[in-house]
Parts: sequence; structure tokens; C-alpha cells
Amino acid sequence: MLTLRCCLRRRNLLDARYFRLFHDARSHEPVKADPRWPGWQVVIGIETHAQIKSTHKLFSQSSCHTRHSHSHSPNTEVSLFDAAFPGTLPRLNPICVDLALRTSLALQCSIQAQSSFDRKHYFYSDLPSGYQITQQYVPLAKNGTLHISQPDGSRTPIRIKQVQLEQDTAKSTFVPYKRESWIDLNRAGTGLMEIVSEADLRSPEEAAEYVLALQAILRAVGSSDGNMEDGSLRCDVNVSINPTGGPTGSGTRCEIKNLNSVKFMTAAIRHEIQRQSAILVSSPDARIEQETRGFNEDTFETFRLRSKEDAPDYRYMPDPNLGVLRLSKDRIEHVRSTLPELPWQTRKRLEEVYKLSERDIDVLLGIDSGREVQFDGEKARGAVKYFEVAVEGQGLVPHGKPLDPKVVMDWIQKLGGLLAKENIPFRSNPITAEQLGELVYLLQTDAITPTSARRLLRHMVKDPTTAKTSFVAKEGDYYTFSSSLDRNSTSAVSQETSDKDPLTVLCEKVVAERSEEVGKYRKGQKNVLNVIVGAVMKESKGRVDGKKARLILQQLMEES
Amino acid sequence: MLAEFTSPFDATAVRLLREAGADIIGKANCDEFGMGSLNKHSHHGPTINPFRPSSGQIEKRYPGGSSGGSAAAVAAGMCQVAIGTDTGGSVRLPASYCGISGLKPSYGLISRWGVVSYADSLDCVGVLAKEISDIRVTFGVLSTYDNRDPTSASPDMRSQSAEAIKSLLSKLEGNKDTKRPLDSLRIGVPQEFFPSELSPTIINPIRSVIRSLRAQGATIVPVSLPSTSYALSSYYVLASAEASSNLARYDGLHVRPPPGSDITKTSRNYALSRTKGFGPEVKRRILLGTYALTADAFDNYFLQAQRVRQLIRNDFNRIFSLPNFYFTDPSTITVSQEQEKSREDQIDVLIHPSAIRTAPRIDDTADKNDGDESDLDSYVQDVLTVPASLAGIPALSVPVPERYLDPKGDGWPIGVSVVGQWGSDELVMRVGEAIERLNDSPSGNNVV
Repeated sequence: MLTLRCCLRRRNLLDARYFRLFHDARSHEPVKADPRWPGWQVVIGIETHAQIKSTHKLFSQSSCHTRHSHSHSPNTEVSLFDAAFPGTLPRLNPICVDLALRTSLALQCSIQAQSSFDRKHYFYSDLPSGYQITQQYVPLAKNGTLHISQPDGSRTPIRIKQVQLEQDTAKSTFVPYKRESWIDLNRAGTGLMEIVSEADLRSPEEAAEYVLALQAILRAVGSSDGNMEDGSLRCDVNVSINPTGGPTGSGTRCEIKNLNSVKFMTAAIRHEIQRQSAILVSSPDARIEQETRGFNEDTFETFRLRSKEDAPDYRYMPDPNLGVLRLSKDRIEHVRSTLPELPWQTRKRLEEVYKLSERDIDVLLGIDSGREVQFDGEKARGAVKYFEVAVEGQGLVPHGKPLDPKVVMDWIQKLGGLLAKENIPFRSNPITAEQLGELVYLLQTDAITPTSARRLLRHMVKDPTTAKTSFVAKEGDYYTFSSSLDRNSTSAVSQETSDKDPLTVLCEKVVAERSEEVGKYRKGQKNVLNVIVGAVMKESKGRVDGKKARLILQQLMEES
Repeated sequence: MLAEFTSPFDATAVRLLREAGADIIGKANCDEFGMGSLNKHSHHGPTINPFRPSSGQIEKRYPGGSSGGSAAAVAAGMCQVAIGTDTGGSVRLPASYCGISGLKPSYGLISRWGVVSYADSLDCVGVLAKEISDIRVTFGVLSTYDNRDPTSASPDMRSQSAEAIKSLLSKLEGNKDTKRPLDSLRIGVPQEFFPSELSPTIINPIRSVIRSLRAQGATIVPVSLPSTSYALSSYYVLASAEASSNLARYDGLHVRPPPGSDITKTSRNYALSRTKGFGPEVKRRILLGTYALTADAFDNYFLQAQRVRQLIRNDFNRIFSLPNFYFTDPSTITVSQEQEKSREDQIDVLIHPSAIRTAPRIDDTADKNDGDESDLDSYVQDVLTVPASLAGIPALSVPVPERYLDPKGDGWPIGVSVVGQWGSDELVMRVGEAIERLNDSPSGNNVV
């Protein structure tokens, strides 16, 4: 282990040598010329920090729930350890380890049976202990792969260098008019996964694809919400350029820190490529200086934060409290065997089992950002599961003939629209999958019309209930007026027996009331029929089958 | 730095003592953050050693550090038992200088939750008392697994080592009332623990103790721990490095900034708080440790010191008859290797002087205060105590019976250390009691 530490250390120190050893994993591909920067090849590596979706922090028992609600007050979820009180000690949260293992396995990494925690030292007001606990020397997992989609539909493997666990810092907010910095320790000590790619990306668009693919994996395995907007996913990007045809990765890289949206990330990379190429063409002696840069979200330009010479010495030291993290084969295997379905597996299943279109799959996976897993990796009913339960239509179709997936999908989308109008997120959706399934069943058996199904759904969203959909439909009188024309009148369960069927009764009532229109019809103005049908529709609040109503009306008016 | 700070919670050790009915009478003076071998570097000034030699001569001497206040309180009869922390000898050295007993238990047996960290990998809560029986009772209360301390020895480790030592303890128990109560005990005398700095007035009394133990049936085996000479350097690199890290939290932002702080610029506030808030010895060690961790020095200092630490552990593991259940790397120790060790080369405990001298006079060092030489001098006082700290093994300092003291000496107490394998704290205390009993016997060579 000592030798390994030395090697890693030297590699960090001697960047020049590291770059001479650059391994171009995509050397077999022809270098694609990009008209935006002709003559240059772009080499990009991304370091992401993803907040672990655990109930408790990485080394303390305080909650990290509150970071998701905007109503929480600052400095309320802080343990003595988070605030670095003297005499406090860390206690590793095994759930954070398991979630990082899920991520690592989903990224096809090899898990290190032994990894270790190290302290990274620097003084900053958002770091109460003066050091961050991370995994500098021996990370949790190494050598993984993440596939990104190309515009032509093919997939390119991007190598993952490592996945490591570390602590998040506190949040500091500068209040300019008071000239004060406010510190909120709620975030301090939350678990992060640092996921480092090799420099295998070759364009801003590939970088964006990488982040999207990573997001999808994090959400599918439930290890992180992966939201760049709320800071649960943050990106640092390394960009270098070299002349096309020259050795790949031979350019000096610059790191752009703290990019908090995919849009900003691609803009920052584009600006950085243009900045670097402008310097290099300005004179034959011009060189890129290795530095750390920030991104201005107003001008869409990168700016210098510090040069390599100013880089702080973090004085890494193995953490004497936490020592070596040993992972048994059993534990790794357990995580592997309970790994939630990965995004491409879900896609394939939805496509093959339910014959959903790619568009429908996108919609389903996009609902609530595809969250199928709750805090601490507990399984939840995400949109995919919701869809599957609804399609199954439990208890409705005894002989195992499931509902039509496309119709169910259609109604999930309609439900989504209703929820959006009421400002309800899908995860707080008041309609159960069983209720939605029954709604589709009633619809498919002509017990209700699409119009009244929509009304019924709106009613159930506004006035949630645990009752069955059929019960609500009966109570609220949503059932279709049955008629003697019904082939399958058993579906219209709520009808009383009488001489005339309810639809005929209704039609007779309308014919009696609309003598003027009826007269016109009988005189040959056949178009007036539409007006009369409309009146029946209106009278029934959409609970009639228009075609049947039309037939009955014609009979009634032509009889007499 | 922490003058105005009151911790909002009790340390596990304090809680356990309270729960067991102990009366906590006060906090004792100690070197700032436990850094010092004399009790000289205290914010409150040094404690005065309460020992009075039989000559009756009154002189101000240091009680030893860092837990000098605890040792002095026990020696002065203010309390029956005191606890202190021992990072490199801070319990054993004061015990030796004040003429009482002090146990630094095996690392990880007593929870460090609530202990202000100096060097986490070395810090141990220790117990001081006049009688070892009092240490045993207190240690029994404190030695329990605590999930708030990630380095706390697991119940498994505890029972494994208790099981391993059981037969030896019961043999000693069976021999108790015989003429040779220490029969079947093998005591090692490590040659490296008798360095040139050691004065003859220390060596002779220790020799007498060893002879008496042999007379009680113990087998005395000369042993060698060749890495010992590097222990002190390794200790000061590691302890300072960890200290520089642990003390980074005292930045003047989270505790009240000192008066006159420029609060508009954080870096100035850090500088002022840390310059004013820390004493000179603490600052010296923080700077040493910070240097040892810089990228340029890390390999040559920190990693080198860690390698030395491993060599020291290996030295101890090689000579002890029992395996180490705490620092076991399952990949390196196999059963066959264990069996290869023959009983002939192995010992159950080690015995050596606790300190190279008796308690230093307060005016002695006060005159040439702040000179670098005197500070290096005080570092050397730890030379005999740091190996057990680096190895994380139990060490007990017991006063040499007064009648064994060298007449040519100054009449101040001398401590003898008993050191055992990890987890053999009880064995170490039994041997300590055998030394304690030498006080009662009429002649050193003919004991109970």
C-alpha cells in the first residue's frame, strides 16, 4: 500500500510526466473534424461531485433530508461533529458506502477490497474542521466505463478513472449590502461521490452526453438526485486542445470549476476551446498556462482563478480515525445482486414487453427526473413502476389480459398534465396506479366515455380518495347512459331496470324540449341533428356515446 | 485558545465514571493540548510536584507532562484516582515523576469520544492512582466498546485477546500463594531501553526490581527491539503531523475571534487567532507537522515515520508470546508463522525504566527557557515511553519501592514500566502489583 501511495503521489505531482503517459482510448477512431475549430482536436475529462441520497450524513447522524426542502432554516441539521467541536469523532455511514458501491458497480468499476480515507487540508470558512475527509490515495473503485450516445445512435465507451467518497463542505452565502458571509452548516459533512472520467471526451456535446448518461445512472440506482440546478451534481471540466494529427492529449489542460448546468458546461468548454486556440495561433511560441478557471454565467466566458504555481498544497494525510475501509466479497456481491435496473435495461424492457415508443419511454423516464429510488436506496414507486402496476390492472381482468399499455401511457400523460396544472409533483400524485388502471379499464369496457374519464380524473386529483375508481364513478354519476344498442350492457353496472333504457329516455326528453330543431330536421335540414346530439351530450355531461345517441335520435324523429 | 469554551457534552470516559458513581471533583492542569513532557506549557503555569523526599528538602519540581495536574492531584491525596490522556507518555511520565502508578491502556480500549484530539492514532485515555487496585477498578469501568469512537476495539477483539491471555492469568492466580508467584511468567528486558542518557542512579534501582521479580519465579530474558532508536523521531513527526491537522479547527471563526481581529478578511482573522491563541510549544509542533505534510516533505517525513512505526510494531509482535488482535493485518499473519515462534524467544511482558531521570527542577529549565536545546532536552524525556504509544500496547508505570532507590540519587521517585501485548492490560497490572508488593516485603530477594 505504501508503494502505491508513493506512485499516486508522484503522478499527481509530476503532471508533465502524467501527460506523456496519456493513453488515447479512442485512437482507433478517425479524429472528427469540427468546423467550429478547424485543425484542433479537443480533449476533455470531467470530474463530477454527486451528493449521496442518504438520510444521514457521511460521518454523522445528522440528517441531510432538509437540503431538499427549501423551507428549512440554516444550521438546524448540524451535529457536534459537523461543526468540528473538539472531542468529536467520525462514524462512517455504511449506507453511503453502499450507495457509492451501487454507483461504482453501475459504472462497471472494479471495487477496491481495501480503500482508505485521507484528510485534505485548507482553511476556509465553510470548512469547520480545517480539512475535508476524502479518498486521495486509495479510492473506493477504479477503472469503470460509461457509454455515451452519439448522434448516429452508436455508443462510445468513456473510461471512468475512479469513484471516491468524500465530505461536502458547508454553504457560504455572501451578502454584499451587509458585507457579510453567512455560513450554513446543514450541508457540511453530507456524503459526496467524486466520479472522475479519463480524458476520453472529444467535444462539448460529448461532455453533455456524458453528464446526462451519468445523471440517468445516478437516478436509476438511487445514489444521487443528480440535479445540477440544486447543486446535488457539480462538474469540474478539464479541457485541452492539440493540433489535429498531433499526439492526442499533448496540449496543456485548464480546469474549469463549479459548472452548475449542462448548458453552462458546454458553453464554458466552447469558450475555453476558442480561448486556447486563439492563444496558440497568436504566435508560434505561445503556450497555454496550466490553470484553474471559473465561468461567468453572464458573459458565457471563462476567467482565471489561479495558476498552477498558486495551487494550494493540501497536505494530504491518511485519516488516523477512519483507517482502512475493508469491503467483504459478500457485501459487494449483495450490492451487485440488489442493484436497481439501469436506464438502458429499463428502456429495453419497456420497449420489448410493452411495445412502448421511444417517445413514450422518454416521457416515462423523464417524470420526476426518473427517480425510482428513495433515500438510503429504498425502493419507491417511480413512474415506471406506476405504469407497470396500472397496466397490470390487478383484480380487474381475472384472466390475465392486461390493459393496453399505450392507452395507459396516454392516460399517465393526461394525468401528468392535470398534475402540472395543479402544481403537484408526480411523486405526490394522489391517484394510485390501481385507480388509474381501473379508469383505463372502465374506458376500455365503454363504461365511461373519454370525456367523462377526463372529468373523473380531474375530480379525483382535486378531491383525492382511497376509494376504487368505479366507486367514485358511481357516486359522482360518471357512467355512460346505457342503451339497448349496447352489445355488452353488463359493463354499465349501475343501471336500473326499466322499460326504456336511460339513453332513450334522455333522447326523448331532448326531442320533446327541442321542438324547433326537431321540426327543422323533419323538414329535411339533416344538419340540425348535430345540434340535437350536442344538446344530448350537454345534458348528460358527456356521459353518452355520440354515435348511439345519433342513432336513437334519428329513430325517434323519423318514427313520429 | 479554548479558555472560554465549555464543551456541550461529556466524554464517554466521564459519562461512564459518573454512571459508576464516581465523584468528579475537578479538572486538572495539563500542557496545552497535551503537548509537553513537564507540565510547563500550560496556559495556567506549571503544576508543582507535591512529592516531598524523605530528606525533607523542599524544592520546586515539575510533575511531568502532559497530565501533570492529574498525577499531582493523586500524589497530593486530593483524589483517589485521576484520568489523563497519554499520547507519547503523558500519563506514565507524570506518574513516574510524582511517585504514583499510571496506566496507558491498549489503544482503542477506552473510548476517545470527548477527548480533545492531539494525535488520534496515539491518544489514549489513561488512569492514575496510588494503588494499582484503584486503577484496575477504574479501567474496568472505562474499558468498554463505544460506537462513537471509530477506533474503539470491537467486542470481538476484546474477547479474542481475553481468551488468549486467560491461561497465563489463571496460572498466575494459581501461583499466588506460593513462594514463586510469578512462576511461568517470562519478562523481557529490552537492551535498547537502557540508553546512554540513563543515569546510573536510575539503572541500579531498576536492576533490583528485576532481581526481585526473578526471585518470585519470573524468567528474565534479555531481548532486543532494534527499531527503538528511531521511535522518538517517528513519534514527533507523526504526532506533530496529526496535531497540525487536528488543531486546524481552532481558526477563530467558530469560536469567538480574539479582540482586535480584522473580521473583514478571514485570512487575517485566522492569522491573529492562531498566533495569539496558541502557546509557543503548540505553535512549534503545528509548524513541524505542517511541514511534514507538505508535498515536498511527505515522503521523507510522514511516510518514513509511518514505516518506522510499522517496524516498531513488528519488533513488539515478534517478541510477545501473544498475537496482536487489534493491529492485525489478516494478510500478513498466518497461523504457521505464529506456531514457528518458539516459546524460548518469547516473553509475556517487558520491563524497563519509565523515564531517563527523576522530576526536573522548575528553576532548572526556567532559566534557559525558550532555548532550542532545552526543548530538545524535554523531547528526549519521552524516549522510553513513545515506543509503546506507537505500537498501541499497554504500559504501566509503577514507582520503584523507596528502599530500592540508589542512595547516591536525589531521593525523588523513579518509575518502572511494565509493557505487554495489545489487550494484556490485566497482565500488566498483575506484574505491576508484584512490584507494588515489594514495598511490603522485608527484603528484596526474599519475597511473599
